[in-house]
Order: sequence, then structure tokens, then C-alpha cells
Amino acid sequence: MIIEAYLTLLRESPQIPTAATIAERAGYSVRSVFERFPDLHALRVAATDYAFTQGTAQAVARDFSGDRLTRLKSHVETRSWICEQWLPLWRALNANQGDSSELKSRINLIRQAILKRIELMYEAELATLGATERLQTLIAIESLIDFESWARMREFSGMSIEEAREVWVKSIDRLLPPTPVS
Amino acid sequence: MALPSASLDGRRLRSERTKQSIMDAYIELLRQRPEIPTAAQIAARAGISTRSIFERFVDLKGLSLATLDYAFTLGEAQAIVRDVDGDRPTRVRSHVETRALTCERWLPVWRVVVANQGRLDELRDRIRFIRQAIVKRMELMYRPELAVLPAEERRDLLIALESLIDFESWGRMRDVHGLSFDEACSVWMRMIDRMLPPTPPARP
Repeated sequence: MIIEAYLTLLRESPQIPTAATIAERAGYSVRSVFERFPDLHALRVAATDYAFTQGTAQAVARDFSGDRLTRLKSHVETRSWICEQWLPLWRALNANQGDSSELKSRINLIRQAILKRIELMYEAELATLGATERLQTLIAIESLIDFESWARMREFSGMSIEEAREVWVKSIDRLLPPTPVS
Repeated sequence: MALPSASLDGRRLRSERTKQSIMDAYIELLRQRPEIPTAAQIAARAGISTRSIFERFVDLKGLSLATLDYAFTLGEAQAIVRDVDGDRPTRVRSHVETRALTCERWLPVWRVVVANQGRLDELRDRIRFIRQAIVKRMELMYRPELAVLPAEERRDLLIALESLIDFESWGRMRDVHGLSFDEACSVWMRMIDRMLPPTPPARP
């Protein structure tokens, strides 16, 4: 309940919630919050782990054996859904990481998962590249489908989810080398 | 003996210098630690009293915004446009090198601004303004290639290129992937080249 309240507040406002607002939203006293979490930092770490588990369950890899366009669409659809759901938490995570090795390691873990998914979805195309070019392509796709890239399209450019997905599909398609004939 | 107006000008000049040293101290602190510094920390770094800060800035918010505007002006002055009329590889290289230098110098400041955008609406406006400047630079550097695209495709490509050359994209290449400055530039150059449409032949 407390973690859910924290995540709901993050989605409602970009302000980092205080213990009092979290407690109020969860229907607990502030004391109850600190009985379960020694401090707000521990709550943030727990919320991140909870979100990562949820996100992993929501982002099941699909169609990775499909044709190029099917894989592109499937990957972008899943990734965009995650961005839409978890952008506020991602922002809070980055804003609060400070010197926290726990939060930094979670950020690193999330990034590795994003890279691994790219490798899985575009295995056929990436396999045709040399090591350097493969890494360069991975880095470029990772930047392209970053949380803040999604936010820019949705918040700054005012795009619909479908329009924003279309931008990603087209751009990844440009970045990838031709698909080898199977 | 100096004339009254001359001494007034001298005082104004000194006050402006102090103002600048406060903002320089603020930026130095951001580069060391990605958090908004306190007035006491800024004063200590600038070698002045906290009172001197608030004689020149209404509050910490005012100082933060003024520092961001000052940083943007510095960044713009450092990122001089070059080789606009060069061939495609020259323009790509010039654009990437300039952008990379900006990211290298200003990434720590950018991170703090982005992390605090939820607290201040004015910060969001500044972020928008900076992003517009980044997009305008790309429009300038890749004018021949962008000109061949229909409006919607052009917009989509600019959005994608902006993500590619984002501050955090640079940060990831340097901090997470451990790439050197030149290696990271090479990633951007190759990928921009891949994303741009073919350059149309020059008009006679």
C-alpha cells in the first residue's frame, strides 16, 4: 500500500513525495511508514525493486522470431508501454540517486535489461555487424528509446502514443543494417 | 579624483563581477556534486558572505535561474557554428564535435536542471528553450538533407536525432560504456549519417 501510494503520487506530480503525503495517500500514519521503512531512501529502493518486477512481468518479449517489421513493432510497443507507465519513477530514481550505490545499481540493471532486449529483438541484424559497429548501433538504439526520449515526444512535441511509436519504429529501422536472408 | 559617475560605474562593474563570480561558483559546485548547492556553500566557494549573494539575487530560486541563463549563454558562445556549407562528412563531424564538447562541459549542470524541473516551472521553460536551440542547430547543419523530406518525416527525424545526441546519451557513452571522447563522437557521426537521407546533388 505504501509503495503503491508513493508510485501513484509520483505519477500525479513531478514533485518528490514527502513521508507525510505518502502516509496520507496510503491511509497510514507517518509513524507506520517509518515502521516499515527505516527512511525514505529505503522506501525508494523498495519501490524501484517492486516497479522493476512489475515492469519485467509487463514487458514480456514477444515476436522475437518474427519478420523485421513485426519485431520492430513488438519491441516499440512494449518499450513505449513501459515508458508510459514508469517514466515518473525513472525520473525520481535519477533525481534521488545522489550517492546511493543501491539506486545506481538499479539504474544500471534497468539499462542492461533494455540493452539485452534490443539484442534479443534484433539479433538477426546485429549478428551481421563487427563488434565496434554492433556496439555503436546498440548505443544509438538505446539512446533513441530512452525514457526521456519518450517524454520529449509525448510532453514537448504533444504526440499521441501511436505517433510517438511510429517515430521509434522508423528510426530503429534506419539504424539497423539490412536483415540477412534466412 | 574620480568623477562621481566614474566611481558609480566602477561600483556597478565590481558588483557585476561579484555576480558573475557567484554564478561561476554555483556552476563549479554543480560539476562537483549533482545537487542544488546551498547559499552558504556558494558563498564559501565564491569567497564572499551569504549576505552578498542576497544583495544581488532575490532568493536561491532567482540565483538558480540566473545561473542557468548565464550557463546557456556561455554554452552558446562556446558552440560556435562552423562548416555549415561544408560537404556532408564535414558538417556531420563539425556538428558532432561541437555538440560533444557542449555535453562534456555541461552534462553535470544539465542533470541537476532536469532532476529539479518538477520543482520549478521556469526550469521546464529553460529546458524547452535549450532543446529548441539543439533542434535549430540540426536544422542548420543538415539543411540540404532535411529539405528533401516532407514536413512530418522531417519532424520525426529531428526528434530521433535529438534523442540520439541528448546529454544523457553522451553521459552513457562516456560513463557507462567507457568510450573515449573520439570513440563517442564516432558513434554519433556514424549514426547521424545512417539516419539522414541521401544528400541531394548541389545546384549548379
